[in-house]
Amino acid sequence: MPEPESELSSRQVEHVARLARLGITPEEVLRYRDQLRNILHHIEALNRADTSKVPATAHPLEERNIMREDRREPSLPAEAALRNAPSRDDSYFKVKAIQE
Amino acid sequence: MKLFQRTIRDLHQMLVDREISSVELTAAVLDQIDAVGDKTKAYLLVTRELALRQAHAADERLRAKRDVRPLTGIPIALKDVLCVTDVASTAGSKILGGFTPPYSATVVERLEAEGAVFLGKTNCDEFAMGSSNENSGYWPVHNPWALDRVPGGSSGGSAAAVASGEAIAALGSDTGGSIRQPAALTGIVGMKPTYGRVSRYGLIAFASSLDQIGPMTRDVVDGALLLQAIAGHDPRDSTSSSRPVPDYLATLADGVKGMRLGVPKEYFVDGMEPAVEQSIRDAIRLLEQQGASIEEVSLPHSDVALPAYYIIAPAEASSNLARYDGTRYGFQAGGGRNIIEEYMLTRQQGFGAEVKRRIMLGTYALSSGYYDAYYLQAQKVRTLIIEDFKQAFKKVDALLGATSPTAAFELGAKTQDPVAMYLNDIITIPANLGNVCGISVPGGLVDGLPIGLQVIAPGFQEEVALRVAYAFEAATEFHNARSPLMGAAA
Amino acid sequence: MSAIATRYEVVVGLEVHAQILTQSKMFCGCSTDYLTAAPNANTCPVCLGLPGSLPVINRRAVEATIRTALALNCEIPEFSKFDRKNYFYPDLPKGYQISQYDLPFSRNGYLEFDLKGEAKRCGITRVHLEEDTGKLLHEGAIHEAQASLVNFNRAGVPLMEIVSEPDLRSADEAREYVMRLRAILQYIGVNDGDMESGQLRCDANVSLRPVGSPDLGTKVEVKNMNSFRAIHRAIEYEIGRQTEVLEAGGRLAQETRGWNDARGLTVSQRSKEYAEDYRYFPEPDLPPLDVSRKWVAEIRAGLPELPAARRERFMTALGLSPYDASLLTASRPMAAFFEETVRLGAPAKTAANWILGDFSRLLNADRKEIDEASIKPVHLQQLISLIDSGAITGKMAKQTFEAMYGAPDAGPALEAARGSTQISEDAELDRIVDQVIAENAKSVADFKAGKAPALKFLIGQGMKVSKGRANPQRLDALLREKIS
Repeated sequence: MPEPESELSSRQVEHVARLARLGITPEEVLRYRDQLRNILHHIEALNRADTSKVPATAHPLEERNIMREDRREPSLPAEAALRNAPSRDDSYFKVKAIQE
Repeated sequence: MKLFQRTIRDLHQMLVDREISSVELTAAVLDQIDAVGDKTKAYLLVTRELALRQAHAADERLRAKRDVRPLTGIPIALKDVLCVTDVASTAGSKILGGFTPPYSATVVERLEAEGAVFLGKTNCDEFAMGSSNENSGYWPVHNPWALDRVPGGSSGGSAAAVASGEAIAALGSDTGGSIRQPAALTGIVGMKPTYGRVSRYGLIAFASSLDQIGPMTRDVVDGALLLQAIAGHDPRDSTSSSRPVPDYLATLADGVKGMRLGVPKEYFVDGMEPAVEQSIRDAIRLLEQQGASIEEVSLPHSDVALPAYYIIAPAEASSNLARYDGTRYGFQAGGGRNIIEEYMLTRQQGFGAEVKRRIMLGTYALSSGYYDAYYLQAQKVRTLIIEDFKQAFKKVDALLGATSPTAAFELGAKTQDPVAMYLNDIITIPANLGNVCGISVPGGLVDGLPIGLQVIAPGFQEEVALRVAYAFEAATEFHNARSPLMGAAA
Repeated sequence: MSAIATRYEVVVGLEVHAQILTQSKMFCGCSTDYLTAAPNANTCPVCLGLPGSLPVINRRAVEATIRTALALNCEIPEFSKFDRKNYFYPDLPKGYQISQYDLPFSRNGYLEFDLKGEAKRCGITRVHLEEDTGKLLHEGAIHEAQASLVNFNRAGVPLMEIVSEPDLRSADEAREYVMRLRAILQYIGVNDGDMESGQLRCDANVSLRPVGSPDLGTKVEVKNMNSFRAIHRAIEYEIGRQTEVLEAGGRLAQETRGWNDARGLTVSQRSKEYAEDYRYFPEPDLPPLDVSRKWVAEIRAGLPELPAARRERFMTALGLSPYDASLLTASRPMAAFFEETVRLGAPAKTAANWILGDFSRLLNADRKEIDEASIKPVHLQQLISLIDSGAITGKMAKQTFEAMYGAPDAGPALEAARGSTQISEDAELDRIVDQVIAENAKSVADFKAGKAPALKFLIGQGMKVSKGRANPQRLDALLREKIS
């Protein structure tokens, strides 16, 4: 079992924040790094459990094959679908351009 | 006794007997909110007009004796993680500021069908992440027993509302103890049903494999009544069980005589206040006197429940909270030069520190190269915890322990140390990971502050947990203690 | 290309995304009609990813995926689940796509096809089920646009991903594979095969390696090919481009390139993820699925005759060439049209020639499917019968066919062709009627005795003698006149 927590670096914190689309200041990088290191240190206790012969929990519910029939149901009225949009253009949601 | 101090069951009788109207009752509770709301800060939004409209409708029903249900006309508070059509629903987060869902949660619809009255949306830790309510994106909640203390979390607003007379009952949600711990810290009853017992449709998700909605009430009977109204299969939630829902009141007063009750030795954790431990030992003795046989049991993997929880819950949360990107609803920062910058600014400004911490933790745990060591290992540990409970429940009918290792702590006491805060949930988390149900019932006062006795029963045996809790409640007066804000019961 | 072929081996694997024909979306009850509905009209809390909403699996979509997998000779594992694929994009409302990662509904299948008479087999890695994304409209060109508009009507439409092994060795093979795959999807009724509207989409992984090398070269993913022609051209282009880079001693970048059909080239695209790390994990909102053998057997029993079997039947029972049989069975509507025409009495070879010749040429020019044409099997059969009876010439038939094709209803044009050749002069008709009366004494007697059907027989004989050119009304009148 690797010990990834001992290696959590500022660069990794920045990478994770970027993956999660969280803006983060340089001071926050350091603060989160230290806090996450501390949390991960406690989480290392996970490795105390012998799980070599244990399957991962597939799902907490024991029921399987929960499906619905292919039937249409009413959609939201257009205004209800769009009324919370911070930016819109007619019946579209409007977002900033994709270009980087 | 003032109306807002009473239980659902009492008030139901008074409503049926036409002693009071729902409008009078609702007005009395709204008055109490006006009187003490500034002190507890329990509500994020009081839906006064909606409540009075619903109270009028309930009175019609009561007058016509048409479909009168146990909750008809009863004023109830809803944790802000529950969606209500056209009512602002923010999960305590700035990122959902101004969001008014175009649909209601299934539990909300069920309560509406019962004729319940909605007082408003109660404050909570942002996205239900926290144990003190100090992570609310709006303001902290104060404990009605001591205003400088936390009410617990994350359902702290619901707990404070019930404990201060600002609601007759409330719904909360429990992912790692978020109903039971604040119930314990405010001297009320709070139940986390088994995962799958209550529909999660319309519950703003924190951790999808752990979240459950449950009742927060003055006593166990009220808890049973409220659970009865919300439990059962929902075709809109694939994870809601289709097992039949028993009549919870039918077996409530059967007593504990002949029952086998287990005391997990691991639940007397390091750092537990001696006075809390003493109260719990007293409670156990009392149940023994009631005729239960008590035996010590072991849940050997309890020590790894907390670390497993702090991988699984943040991992699921990191994904559940990805939708808050400011493009379809809620807060949008503005000012980004392109969509990625805009996402980052919106989420930086919209989320609070604890939520960001957990998103990062969860993202890291799922990321390439770490998945096996963290997420997969945590899911294996979850299997071990489920197995621990299965083994224990071969020997005993229910388990007993404290709900929280301490009584309510002071605001600000643990905000600088995330790990210390996480330790609050050390004896509530296993029930969420283990797919069992748990209830916290008032277990006494320690230095004038309430503490909770936790009863844990096997999955889908809520009636067993309720029965034990009721036997304890019936033999004690703890549940009749009222917070100073609620006022003396006389 | 021939010089290249001697030095490098082309390695192509295809990822085909096929929308599944269902009434409602993958995880909610919204309509799947996103092509004609008003923007965001077919959306709900689930497919908009509103807080608190939860998915529920559409059974028909699961069965269609298993159906497809069976038609592609896949193994169907007994346990399957959905996973979340996490990434941010404005067309992805939840910030994750519900897809399948390590336990898809099927794996290890194959698709057989025929290229210039040579039998080929391409491995199918897996067929899995996921949800489609919404659609973005850019205000202006994508790289200059200040804003994009998002329509979530397509978000949540059930989508199958069919991943092939890197078994294809040329653009021809790749195109043929997609044609056969499309035919199968249409045959089993899971997809309508429309590439232009994006209901069937194809991405290609293209690489080159020195002939004889067991290792795979640097893989380039080519996207945005929305016709068979585009698939062929894009892969050909990519082979040429990669060859040039390698010949010049350069190194290829592992990247995604978009096919620009107008310019006829592929263009490097920026990756949408800064570092692709999708953080897959099991979807906690959906319990897993036990795929019982009984369920699989039921789905298998519902499969229709597949193109390969139909092709075989067209060859053995109807005597078609392998080539014609392949082309006809590439599209289910075309095969059905052909079969109906033959059933009505047209000779198979002639019917095949018409359908694969003039008819297909006209349809291709209009980008239409055969079942959208005004010409129906009965029209084609009658036209063939007019030619065979000698009533019209081949040249006239071609003109007639085009007139039929161009008209909203093919009937009048066909009747006009028949009419233009009709004999109406009494002198000639007199001669025909006299011949019929002389040769059919018994029927004449029957008609005299009052047996009305006998007249119909005599008119038929008159048509036969005139090679179908006599005006039947005039024949009727003349026969009555002469017999009575």
